[in-house]
Amino acid sequence: MRKSKTFSGGYRFINFEGQPKDTLEEVRVPLRVTIPLRQGFGAEGDCLVKAGEGVLAGQIIGHSEYGVSSPVHSSINGVVEEVKRVNYFKRDCLMVSIKGDGNPRYQKLPGAINNWESLAYEEIEKILYLSGVTALDREGIPTRMRSSIILPKEAKSLIVHGVGSEPYNISGELLLKGKNILNLIEGIKILRKIMPNARVFLALSSHSRKILEEIEKLTSAYDWLELYPLEPKYPQGYDEMLVATILKQKFPYGYSAANVGAVILNLQAVLLSYEAVVEGKPLIERTIALCGPAFKEPLHIKARIGTPLREAVEGRVKEGLSARFVLNGLLTGFELKDLNLPIDKTYSQIIGLVENRERKFLSFLNPGLKSDSYSNTFMAKLSPRIQKTCDTNKHGEERPCISCNYCEEVCPVGIIPHLLVKYVQCNILDETLMNLRVFNCIECGLCSYVCPSKIPLARQIREGQEKLTIQGCDRNQCILPYFDNLKGIEEYRGPKEL
Amino acid sequence: MKFLRQRLDNLRNLSQKNKLLAFLKPVINAADEIYFGTDKVTTLPHILDSMDIKRYMSLVIVALIPVALGAVYLWGLRVLAVIAVSYIFGGLVETIFAIARKKEIHEGFLVTGLLFPLILPPNVPLWMAALGVMFGVVFGKEVFGGTGRNIFNPAIVGRIFLSVAFPSAMTTSWLMPFNQGTGGFLKFSADAVSQATPLTAFRSERLIADFGNLFLGGSPGCIGETFRLGILIGGIFLIFAKISNWRLPLSALLSVVICAGIGNFFAPDKFAPALFQIFSGGLLLGAFFMLTDPVTGPFTRAGKWICGVLFGFLVVLIRGLSGYMEGVMFSLLLINVFSPLIDRLVLGVKYPKIKK
Ligand code: SF4
Ligand code: SF4
Repeated sequence: MRKSKTFSGGYRFINFEGQPKDTLEEVRVPLRVTIPLRQGFGAEGDCLVKAGEGVLAGQIIGHSEYGVSSPVHSSINGVVEEVKRVNYFKRDCLMVSIKGDGNPRYQKLPGAINNWESLAYEEIEKILYLSGVTALDREGIPTRMRSSIILPKEAKSLIVHGVGSEPYNISGELLLKGKNILNLIEGIKILRKIMPNARVFLALSSHSRKILEEIEKLTSAYDWLELYPLEPKYPQGYDEMLVATILKQKFPYGYSAANVGAVILNLQAVLLSYEAVVEGKPLIERTIALCGPAFKEPLHIKARIGTPLREAVEGRVKEGLSARFVLNGLLTGFELKDLNLPIDKTYSQIIGLVENRERKFLSFLNPGLKSDSYSNTFMAKLSPRIQKTCDTNKHGEERPCISCNYCEEVCPVGIIPHLLVKYVQCNILDETLMNLRVFNCIECGLCSYVCPSKIPLARQIREGQEKLTIQGCDRNQCILPYFDNLKGIEEYRGPKEL
Repeated sequence: MKFLRQRLDNLRNLSQKNKLLAFLKPVINAADEIYFGTDKVTTLPHILDSMDIKRYMSLVIVALIPVALGAVYLWGLRVLAVIAVSYIFGGLVETIFAIARKKEIHEGFLVTGLLFPLILPPNVPLWMAALGVMFGVVFGKEVFGGTGRNIFNPAIVGRIFLSVAFPSAMTTSWLMPFNQGTGGFLKFSADAVSQATPLTAFRSERLIADFGNLFLGGSPGCIGETFRLGILIGGIFLIFAKISNWRLPLSALLSVVICAGIGNFFAPDKFAPALFQIFSGGLLLGAFFMLTDPVTGPFTRAGKWICGVLFGFLVVLIRGLSGYMEGVMFSLLLINVFSPLIDRLVLGVKYPKIKK
C-alpha cells in the first residue's frame, strides 16, 4: 500500500458523534417538488414549461442556450403548478413546482446502452450533458456543450475523490457498496474517454483500508490510473488542497481548478455519470447523508431532487430540542433555515446540530469527556476512539488575540490569519495585506474554529478582501503573474456564492 | 449552582438599576463569566473549538502548581502570602483599568498574578511585592491597551523595576531552603541566613553546586526557580497540551548549552559549564514559562527559533561578562523588545512582494 499523502496545516476531525450509518433508505417519491433551475455549477436555465403543463420524470424543464450550464430535469411525473422566482441560497432563482402522482417511473435518456464502449465520445458527451450530471461539483464536467468553463480536451487531469475530510461525511463504504465499486471504475473509464488528455487520479481516505485494497486489486492493471490514499484532514476535500497535494502544483487562488486544467469530481458524480451513460438514468435523485447529533438515527437517504427538506428530515430528528440544519460542511456550510426549500443536485450531507444556549457551570474547567479541541487539553483527546460531540455553543467569550498561533498552524494555505485580521481591524488596507497573501484564503473556516479567543477570523479576512476590492485593489494582480496559461479566465465568474 | 445563578442575576439587576453601582459591571460580568459558560451560539463556522482563553490561562496555572507547591515546601507558608498579595494588588489594578475603560476584565492577569511572586526572592517584603506587581501590570500591560496588545511580559517588567529600584533587597540576601521532613508546609518562613546562590558561588569561588540539590530545590534562589523538577514537569505538560510551543524552550536551552560550552572552553573562569548553567538561576522557569508567553514573544516559526537562540546567547553573555549574576530577566526583556522586529524580518522573507 502506498504511503498516504497530505498537506501542511489542516486539522483532522476525528470520530464525531452521529456519523451516518452505512444504510440507505429510499424516501418515497414526493407528491410535490420544487425544482430550482440553477443547481450546482453553471448559469440558470430558461424555463421550458408553463403552469398547467404535464411533465414526466426525467424530462428537461430548464435549459440555457447561452452561458455555461447544464439542463435541469423534472424529478417526478405530474403537472407544473407554478413557475416563480424565489430567494434561493441568497440569490434569486426561478423555481418550478410540480404536483406529482407518486409514480416512481422515469424517462430514460436516449442513446444510453450497456455496452458503452461502442459509443463515440461525442455521444457519451451528449448523454452526460443531457442527464444533468455535468453540473455536479464545483466546476462541472466539461463537454463540448459548454457545461464547464473548459473543453474536455483541455482537461489535463481528472481527480476523483472521496476523502471525507469534514467532521461529517457521506460514507464512501456505502457509496461503493457491492457492484458500485465496479461502476465507479467504469464511470472513470467513461469520463476518461471524453477527456483523453487527462491523467486520472483516484484519491481516497487513507483510513478506508478495505476500499483501498479492493480498488488497488481491481485497478492494478491500469497504468493510467493513480491511486492516492490521502490523510482525511480538513480541508483535504477542497479543490485547492487536492490540486496542491496530488498535482503538486500551485493553485490560482480565487480561480478554479478548471483554470489549471484539472477536473475534480467526487465519487457520487462519477457513479451518477455511469448510471447516466449505461443505465440511461437522468440526474433526478441522489444519495444524501443525514448526520449529526440532532438526528435520532443518522443514515443515508436516496431522495428525488426537489423533495422539500421537511420531508427528508421529518420524524428523524430527536424530540424536544431545537435543531440547526447545515448543508454539506459544518465549517462553511449554508444554514438551512427554511425547510420548505428543496433538495438539489449539490446536496451531499445534511448535518443536524443541536442549538445549545445553556450556560454550563464552570464550563472552562470541564474535563471534556466528549469535547473536541485543537489543543490537547480535553480528556477526549486521549484516544481517537473516544467519540466527540459538537453543538452550536461558542464555548467561550470573545477576547483579544493572544497570538497563540493556532490559526496559523492550521491554515492550509500558509497565511497568518491573526496578523491579517489585526491589519483589517486597524483598517490598514494596503499593499502589505496583499503581500501577506490575503487573497490566498480559501475560506475554509478552520482558523475561526480553532481560535481560543473566539475571533471570527475567516469572516474578517473576507471583509478585508472585500474592502480591498472596493478600494480598487485587483486580486488578479496577486494571481495572474504567477501563471502562464490559465484557461477559461473570461468565462470564470468567481467562486460559487453561498 | 442555582443559588449562585440567582445571586449573580440579582447583582446584575442591582448594578443596572443603581447608578452608583453601575461601575461595578465589569466585575460582576467577570464573576458571571467565570462561573457560567457562554450562551452565545455560532454563526459561521457552525461549530467552534471547546477551548477558550479561560481554560488556556487556567491550564498555565495548573502547570505552575508543582512549582508553587515546591516553593511552599522550600520557603514556608509565607510564599502563600506573597502570592495572595500579588493576586490582590494585581487584580485591583486590572479591575480599575477595566472599569475606567468600560471593558471586560481579561483572564491574562491570572497567570501574571502567579508568575510574578515566583520570580521574587523568598524574603521579599510584602509591600515590595505589591508595588512590583502593580508597576508590572500598569507599565507592562495596561499602558499598551491590555492583554493581547502588550509588548512586555508584565511579570518581567515588575521584577526588573524592583531590581532597579531596590537592588540590595533583590540580589544580596538569600535564604537557605527547608529540605527535611514536612519542610515549609508547617512553618511560616525560612531562617534569614544569608546565602550565596549557585551562580554567585560560581562567580566568587568557582564552585559548582550539587546537581541533585539544583534539581530538587535544595539551593538558594528565587521562590519558584529552584524546584526545577516541578518546572520541567509543568513546562513539558504545557507543551504536550499545545499551550506553549516547544520551539522556544528547545532552541533557548540548546543555545545556552552551545554558547556556554564554547565560553567555558575558552574562558572557564568566566563562563560556567553548560549543564550547570541550565540548572541554575531562573533559566528553566524563564524558558518554559516566560519566553513562551505568546503575546510578547515572536509568532512566526522562524522567529521562534531565532529568538530562542538569541535568548540563550544573551543569558550566557550577561551571566559571564556583565556585573549581574543572573541574565534571564534582562534577556527576556530584550527578547520582548526584539521579537516584533524579528517577526517583521521573517515575514519579509516568507512573503516576498507580489510580482507586478
Ligand atoms: S487562534 Fe485566535 S488567539 Fe490564537 S493567534 Fe489566532 S487569532 Fe490569535
Ligand atoms: S479561512 Fe483562510 S485564513 Fe482561515 S484557515 Fe482557512 S484558508 Fe487559512
